[in-house]
Amino acid sequence: MTKAVTETDSAQAGTPALKLTGITKRFGSVTAVNNVSLEIRRNQVIGLIGENGAGKSTLLKILSGLYEPDAGVMEVHGSAVKFRRPQDAVAAGFGVVHQEQSLLTNLSVAENIAMNALSSKDNATRGGWYRWGQLNKEAEGILAKVGATVDPKAIVGDLSFVDRQMVEIARALRVDEMTGTPPIVILDEPTSVLERNETAILEREIAELKHVGSVIFVSHRLDEVRRICDRIIVMRSGEIVADRATEGVTEDELFQLMIGHAATAKKHDVQARQSGEALLDVSGLSAKGKFKDVSFALPPGHCLAIVGTIGSGREELVRALFGAEPFDSGTITYRGKRLQSWSAVQATRAGIGYVPAERKTEGMVGGLNGPDNMAIARTGKKFFVNPWRERKAGAGWFDTMDVRPRDTRLHLHRFSGGNQQKVVMAKWLKSETLQLLILDHPLRGLDPGAAETVNEKIRGARDGGTAVVLLADTLEEALEMGDTILVMRDGEITASFDLTVDTPTTLDLLEKMV
Amino acid sequence: MSDRIASDQSVPSEVFDPEAPDAVPAASVETPTADRHRRWRLIDLWATVGPLAVFIILFALVSILRPAFLGGGGLSIVATQCTAILLVALGQCLVLNVGSIDLSNAAIALFSAILLAKTIGPAGAGGLVLVVVLGAAIGALNGFLVSFFQVPSFALTLGTLGILQTASLIISDKTTVYAAKSGLLTPMFGSAIGGLVSAFWTAVIIAIVLWAMLRFTTLGQSMTAVGLNETGALFSGIRTRAMKIAAFMFSGLLASIAGIMIIAQAGSASSTGLGSDLLLPGITAAIVGGTAITGGITNPINVVFGALTVTLIPVGTAAIGIPSEAQSLVYGLVIIIAVALTISRKRVGVVK
Repeated sequence: MTKAVTETDSAQAGTPALKLTGITKRFGSVTAVNNVSLEIRRNQVIGLIGENGAGKSTLLKILSGLYEPDAGVMEVHGSAVKFRRPQDAVAAGFGVVHQEQSLLTNLSVAENIAMNALSSKDNATRGGWYRWGQLNKEAEGILAKVGATVDPKAIVGDLSFVDRQMVEIARALRVDEMTGTPPIVILDEPTSVLERNETAILEREIAELKHVGSVIFVSHRLDEVRRICDRIIVMRSGEIVADRATEGVTEDELFQLMIGHAATAKKHDVQARQSGEALLDVSGLSAKGKFKDVSFALPPGHCLAIVGTIGSGREELVRALFGAEPFDSGTITYRGKRLQSWSAVQATRAGIGYVPAERKTEGMVGGLNGPDNMAIARTGKKFFVNPWRERKAGAGWFDTMDVRPRDTRLHLHRFSGGNQQKVVMAKWLKSETLQLLILDHPLRGLDPGAAETVNEKIRGARDGGTAVVLLADTLEEALEMGDTILVMRDGEITASFDLTVDTPTTLDLLEKMV
Repeated sequence: MSDRIASDQSVPSEVFDPEAPDAVPAASVETPTADRHRRWRLIDLWATVGPLAVFIILFALVSILRPAFLGGGGLSIVATQCTAILLVALGQCLVLNVGSIDLSNAAIALFSAILLAKTIGPAGAGGLVLVVVLGAAIGALNGFLVSFFQVPSFALTLGTLGILQTASLIISDKTTVYAAKSGLLTPMFGSAIGGLVSAFWTAVIIAIVLWAMLRFTTLGQSMTAVGLNETGALFSGIRTRAMKIAAFMFSGLLASIAGIMIIAQAGSASSTGLGSDLLLPGITAAIVGGTAITGGITNPINVVFGALTVTLIPVGTAAIGIPSEAQSLVYGLVIIIAVALTISRKRVGVVK
C-alpha cells in the first residue's frame, strides 16, 4: 500500500518484521521474561498465549516501549532498535491496541485517530490547528482501509465496543502510516470483552490487517487463536515453550503447553464439617451485561470457589451477593429468607463479610490503625466504644494473624500488602456473627508466608461453620480450597464440579473457562 | 495487564509496583523502622500540641510587644470574640472530617440570629428551640442532598448559602432586628469563669463533647472512617450516607447555637452586623486547629485553639498598634504561617 512496503518487499524480502534475541526482563528476584527469542515475518499473524503470569504482558510492554529489557536484542525490519519510551516504539512502527481501551470517549472518532499523531509533520493538525475537513477525510481513509464503517464525526462514547476497537486499530495504523514502515500491530486480548458476533467482525478486520503488516494477537480463547493466527507462540513462566504452525496443533495440546503439568484435585473430605440446610441459595440471578441465570446453593462450613477469566462476571456476581452492586432478576435466599433490597450495610449486619480485590481502595481504611480497622465493621447496635479495650483486642488479633510489625498504633497504609490483608481478614473473622465470607482474590500480592497464614485462617473459619465464597488467584488455589467449583464464562456458569466426588484437573477447568 | 486467566495481577507487576512505596517491611529491619517510627511519633506529637503551641507563641509575642494586652484582659477579649467563630468551626471540622465542606453554616448562624431576634420576644425559650431545630434541619437537608444526590458539597452548600442570605434579608426586612430583652441569654456574656465569658466555656464544653464523640462512640469512629475512605467504610458495613447527614446536621445545629450567641452578645442581628463574616474564619480556625481538608483527621479540642488563634491575630495586631491599612497584610501572613505549621499532613501526599 505505501511506498515503503514495496521498497522493502523487493529489497529485503527475507528480513523478518520483528526479531527478538535473548530478551530478558527481571523485577527484583523475579524473571518475568527469560531469554525470549522469536521471529515474526511480514504479513503474518502470530498468536501469543500463556497462563496468567506467563510473561506475555511484560513482553508486550517491552515491545511497546514501556519497559526496557535487561538483556537481549530487538530488531525491526532488520535494524536493531532500543525503545526508551513508548514514542520510540511508535516511531519504529508498533501500534498497540490495549486491553483497556484508551480512547477519549468525549471526542469524535477523527480526533481520536489524530490524537496519537499530533505533530508538525501531520497536515491536518500542523501548527496545532485542527483542519477539520482534512482531519475527517484522513480518518475516513484509514477507517476504509481497515474495512470499518464508522462515521469519523461520531462521538466515540456513542460507539459499540467493537467499533471502538476498530477505531483503536485505525489509530494504531495511522501512526504507522506516518512513519512509513509496515506496521506491527499488537492486539492485547481484543476479544475478551466482545460479544460473539462482534468477534467475527474483528476477525475479518485482522485478516485485512495481515495484508498491510504483521499482527501479534494475544487472547485466551484458543479456538479463536487457532482460527485467526498463522503461528502460535506459547509462553510459560517467562519462557517460550512452543512455537508452532497453526496447522496440526489441537486445542488440547495448546492447553497442555500453557499450563505444563495439570494439577489434579484431591477428593475433599467434608464429613467432619458442619452441614445441613443451605445458608445461601442463589437462583436465576442475573445482572444485565454482567452475569446471567446464576444458580447455586452453599451450605455452612463449605467453600465455593468460582473460576473464570476477566469478563466472566464472577467479580460482579460476588459483589451482588454482598450488596455492593445491584442485580436485575433472580433471587438470593440467605438463612432461609429471600432478600429483597440488599446493601453492604444489611449484608454486614446479617453476618456476611467481604474482602474485596481492591484492598487499598475498598477493603481497608488506610488512615486508621490496625485495631480501628478491625473495629469499624460492626454488627451490633453498640454506641459507646472503649478504645483501650479495642486496642487490646486488636493486639490479640495481631498475634493470631501474625501481623508484622506488631504495632497497633501505626496507620494501616504503612504496612505491607500481606499484613494489610491479614488485618482485613481479622476485621471479619473477629465478628461472632460471621456466617458467610466472600473473598475476592484474598491472596493477591501476598508473599508465600502471608498467603499461607491467610489461607490457614480461611480454612479455620470454614471448619468453624462459616461458608466461604472464593475467587481464587490461581486454578490450583481453587482446587485446593474449594469444595465445589463453579466455572463461569461470559457471565454464565459453564460447569460445576463437586470435589467430594469429582477430581477435575486445572485443564478441565480451563476448557470450560475459555 | 493482559495475563488474566485466573487472576488479575501478574507476578512481575506485583514486584514492580510494590504494595506501598514506603511500607514497613514484613521482616522488619531494626534501625530504619525504629527511626521511621520515631519520626512518625514526632509528627503525631506535633499534631496533638501544635495548635496550642502556635496560639501560645502568638499570644506571648503580642504580650511582649504590648504588655498592656496581658494586663488589660486581652485573653478575655479574644475569648469573647472567638465564641461564634469557634462554634461554626466545630461544625465545620465535623463536616471536613467526613470529607465534605459546609459553606452555608455561617449563613445558618446569621439566619438563626435574625430569626431568634424576631421570636425570642413572643416565644421566649421556644424561640431558642425553634432556631436550634431549624438549624439542625437545614444542616441535615444539606447532608441529605450531598449524600443521596451526589451533589458536591462545595457547590451545594454554596447554593444553600445564597438561599439563606436571601431568607435573612427578607425576614430582617434589610434592617437591623433588635431582640426583645430576655433574661434567658444574659448569663452567656454577663458572667465569667476565670475571666472568660460563660459563652466561651459553653463552646469549649461542646468541643470536649464532640471530641469524646469522635473518640468513644461508633458514630464518631464511623464518621472518621467515611472521611478517610468512603468505599472502604461502606464495604465494612458503615452507613456512609447517614454519617454525612449526621455531620452536616451537627454543623447546622452548632451554627444555630452560634446565632444564639450573636444575639446574646449583641442583642441584635442584621445581614451586615456582628457574625456576618464567620465563614472564612470558621474554616481557617478548623484548619489551624489541625483539621485535614481531605477528611478523616480532626480534633475538636484543638479547633478551640485554632479559633483562638484566628481571633487573636486581628485583635493582637490592633493592640500592637499596627496601622489599620497593614492589619490585613499581617493577618494574611500570620494565617499562612499558622496554617503551614498546623495543617495536618499525616496522610496527604498531595495537598488540595
